[in-house]
Amino acid sequence: MSSPSLTLPSQERPAARRRRLLEILGALAIAATYVYLVLNQPADITGGPGSASALIALTGFLAGAILLIVAVLPTLPASTLVLIPVALVLNIVLGQFVGSTLVPFYLDAIGTVMIAVLAGPAAGAATGALSSVVWSFFNPTVLPFAAGAALIGCLAGLAARYGLFRRFYLAPVAGFVTGIIAGVVSAPVAAFVFGGTSGVATGAIVSAFRAMGDTLLAAITKQALISDPMDKAIVFTIVAVLVYALPRRARQQFPFLRRHRVLAGNSQPIGTRADAPVKDKAHGTASGSASDSTLNG
Amino acid sequence: MPECTAAAGRAVPVNRPVLAAGIRDFTFHDGHAPVLHDVAVTVAPGSFTAILGASGSGKSTLGCLLAGWLPPGGHGTLAGFLQLSGTRLEFDGGAGDPRIDPAQWGRQVGFVPQDPAAVLSTVRSTVAEELAFGLENAGMERGSMKAAVERTARLLGLGSQLDQDPARLSGGQLRRLAIGCAVIPGPPVLVMDEPFASLDAAGANELAALVRDLIKRGTAVVILSQTVSPLLLEAGTWFVLKDGRLTASGPPAAMGPGSGLLPPAIRRLDGLEAATTPVLRASSRQPGELPAGPALELRGVSFGYPKAPVSRRRRRRQEPVPDRREMVLQDVHLAVYPGEIVAVTGPNGAGKSTLLRHFNGLLRPSAGTVLVHGADIGGVPVGKTAASVGLLFQQPRDQLFERTVLREVMFGLDRLVGADVAVARAGAALKAVGLADAAPEHPAELPASAQRLLALATVLARRPAVLALDEPTVALDGDGLALLDAAVRSAAEAGAAVVLVTHELGYARAAAHRILALDGGRLLPAHRPPGY
Amino acid sequence: MTASPAGAAPAPARRERLNPLTLLAAAAATAVITTAAGSWALSLAVVAACLGLSAAGGTAGRVLPAAAAVLIPFGLSLLVLHGLFFPEGRTVLAEWGPARVTAEGLDFAGQRIVQLAAVVLALLLFSFSVSIPDLVAALSARGVQGRFAFVLASTLTLLPAIADRARRIRQAQEARGLVVSRSLLARIGAFRLQAVPLVLSLIEDAGTRAAALEARGLSNPGPRTSYREVADSRLQRTVRTVLMLAALAAVVLRVVAPGA
Repeated sequence: MSSPSLTLPSQERPAARRRRLLEILGALAIAATYVYLVLNQPADITGGPGSASALIALTGFLAGAILLIVAVLPTLPASTLVLIPVALVLNIVLGQFVGSTLVPFYLDAIGTVMIAVLAGPAAGAATGALSSVVWSFFNPTVLPFAAGAALIGCLAGLAARYGLFRRFYLAPVAGFVTGIIAGVVSAPVAAFVFGGTSGVATGAIVSAFRAMGDTLLAAITKQALISDPMDKAIVFTIVAVLVYALPRRARQQFPFLRRHRVLAGNSQPIGTRADAPVKDKAHGTASGSASDSTLNG
Repeated sequence: MPECTAAAGRAVPVNRPVLAAGIRDFTFHDGHAPVLHDVAVTVAPGSFTAILGASGSGKSTLGCLLAGWLPPGGHGTLAGFLQLSGTRLEFDGGAGDPRIDPAQWGRQVGFVPQDPAAVLSTVRSTVAEELAFGLENAGMERGSMKAAVERTARLLGLGSQLDQDPARLSGGQLRRLAIGCAVIPGPPVLVMDEPFASLDAAGANELAALVRDLIKRGTAVVILSQTVSPLLLEAGTWFVLKDGRLTASGPPAAMGPGSGLLPPAIRRLDGLEAATTPVLRASSRQPGELPAGPALELRGVSFGYPKAPVSRRRRRRQEPVPDRREMVLQDVHLAVYPGEIVAVTGPNGAGKSTLLRHFNGLLRPSAGTVLVHGADIGGVPVGKTAASVGLLFQQPRDQLFERTVLREVMFGLDRLVGADVAVARAGAALKAVGLADAAPEHPAELPASAQRLLALATVLARRPAVLALDEPTVALDGDGLALLDAAVRSAAEAGAAVVLVTHELGYARAAAHRILALDGGRLLPAHRPPGY
Repeated sequence: MTASPAGAAPAPARRERLNPLTLLAAAAATAVITTAAGSWALSLAVVAACLGLSAAGGTAGRVLPAAAAVLIPFGLSLLVLHGLFFPEGRTVLAEWGPARVTAEGLDFAGQRIVQLAAVVLALLLFSFSVSIPDLVAALSARGVQGRFAFVLASTLTLLPAIADRARRIRQAQEARGLVVSRSLLARIGAFRLQAVPLVLSLIEDAGTRAAALEARGLSNPGPRTSYREVADSRLQRTVRTVLMLAALAAVVLRVVAPGA
């Protein structure tokens, strides 16, 4: 029996240039759409639902999100791929639940941010976009927000990569900033495609701004600036709690964590009580226990 | 076939191993000490091999390495070699190490992990498609695929389940499906991790027959186990692992109870249990004089699950959903007195766990009442009843959520008894289950046996009046079982009423004052069921 | 495969033989064209057609609640927003303080709601009528879509399984004496206690599943085959192409000639 080789080629194939190109195209499509919408906005807000702006928002953002998925999904290792459905379930279940309450938050990105922290910005972006696409199976109205969700995943991954999860108090700050950016980018979708927001609570906030005479886009952007940063700060904090609670063995599956030293310390967090025997902790004790005690509090 | 090899004249000696490993050491990234050290294993074609080791001895890691599930370099570094079907790969932990192709490796070595549900693809809707998943990925054309699925299903005894949803199989069927997924590409080696854990007698017999069939067809079978089940006596070679090192190897006959080669942590279920083993001895213990009132009483409890909540996906499938609401429990009467140990036995799926869940109100009876210390618990929140009824579940990791072992045992204890007493009680409970040294560790990083004991400690520390244990022996190694036995006995001596539910009749006989059997929803005094 | 006399077969059997991708193309094209056209009449017609089809296909019992869950909050939000506050409106019907009910506002809200209803119903009708295993099989035969199909199917399988596990964890913790009181802080604490083991076990399972699926060739670069046979025909392929082109044309027409 002449079996084919049991090993893989000794080096990773150089990342296909085509994939990189698709990634860039996707990002460009999203950015260009946003710029176009903001520059051309007020003229046709009352021009009726089939307005060119709505179509451009839909096509541009969706095409960008799909390009990102096509670029990233085939490159992900199996360990990340099988985790994406888990993340989507967390997103959908929490998102549906919170969306049905009268809280002006969404909490529908916990899974996305978790993948981003564990596996990096590209995986995060793909998860965000996929989350919207799969969720639209039950709720088609989330589909146009795919680009915003991808952006959240990407920014969360970047925050993790540049060490913002190493200090526990920095995670909500990173979430806050992510929320501002994501909120501003998603607002045109809500304004042009739907002419409003999907929840009663968020709708009330938009109404308040409209009552003061704002344009619809301005009102929705302001509403997003109220809801999104807080929402993402909460989400990032929850993810930090969850990721720090993971034992070493579970963290090992993710080379991204190791390569960029995403989390404080290299060893598991151990009890902060003085009588607990400290076991062979060679590295990262100082920052590790600092953030551990923050976690305790 | 024989003339083929003769004609080819290939210099393949019959005893040349199909699979071999020489591990100088294997260390997980971030790990402090090597998990495996100086382990050499060889598997001859068509042979039957057992790798025995207690919980935490590194046998699962060894199994994953052999099966290509832990490609060196990915999760840890290996120094040594792996050899499969004539290819030998040398590793030294450096950047120049070969990288295993898991898919090609998987066509040569099938692997079935401890939890068979984890191998399911989750994207195939019938058993047949699940079996075919690996063949689809290899691009096999449909005709051969159908033939392979038929053939494998017949071998597994799953012929009539081919159109069923994999998520709805019984534990034994699921185990066989996982084996089928591993053997369908026809690998010359099959490695199985703890295949007998949590199978009842019938399931274990079916599995043993399947293993014998596979060996007869020329597949080399390697079983990793922490217990010596009767089937393993048929193995050609045993390898014994202890603390990550190979301590003995040879034919089973050379490793009898007198040889001292098997560590006591490895349980023997083959009737050769050493007389010195402290765990299972016939017990004619009688509880001391029984106080007047039972700690736990069930009066005429009946229960049937409401029609299963059917998911959106399942409803759409063609298969008929069984519509009749079967009663799992029918008119069950039970009284357990302080200091008494009662065992409830029965095959898998008899409703034993359902019975236990009535003790603290997790399930409410459709008829009848449950009384704890003479008070009806109907309408009392589970969290409140839990103060007097400690319930230990089968899956320890569902019950554990803290970051250290000590915090885990302390959880909620200070609110119950005050901080000072809590520390003392937690320490005592950890000591009772042999985990005093593990206090600062992360519960999820403990070996399976220790996780179960930790879950037991969290229950013991609360000193409940009723202690209810669901399959306490599963995943416990010999040492763990001895600790469990001692802990249960001392809890009973301290006045707790103990109910343990188990499919291991041997353990039930040794540990309990009386044995009841759950059969067809009714609780009866045990007569010896056939098959034990 | 192409020779079957489609006209003679009874309706349900015919739907069985529709390729899921054809259904998808039909739903997507309907959604796109409705959005692009932006006309009351077309939107209402699509809503009516979807309701009729779902009633005929026996999926109304699931499509309608799902659609209502999406559309009712959305509709209320839009009605309040534009019905009461529409600064651009001229025809004032009623006025309370800052709130002005305008005809333009109501018209705007009404159009958006009807149009949204059409799109949501068309897409939900698809997701509740399609056979997921067939869709997965149809997608798996092709490159990136194979991985997308994996994510979609796995998510749908895991939804009930994870909900089940969350319930088991809650039971196990209640059995350890966890009492969740009504205060917000207690609920947040309980959320952490339940989320940690849930996420941890899900990640551990995913690790095992990844290894198992790698060994079964999930990452094979080569061509794949499918065990499940999914009906397809040249007619259906043509229909799909036509639908996609029609959707594209609708978008282009609308963007090029925005004055409509």
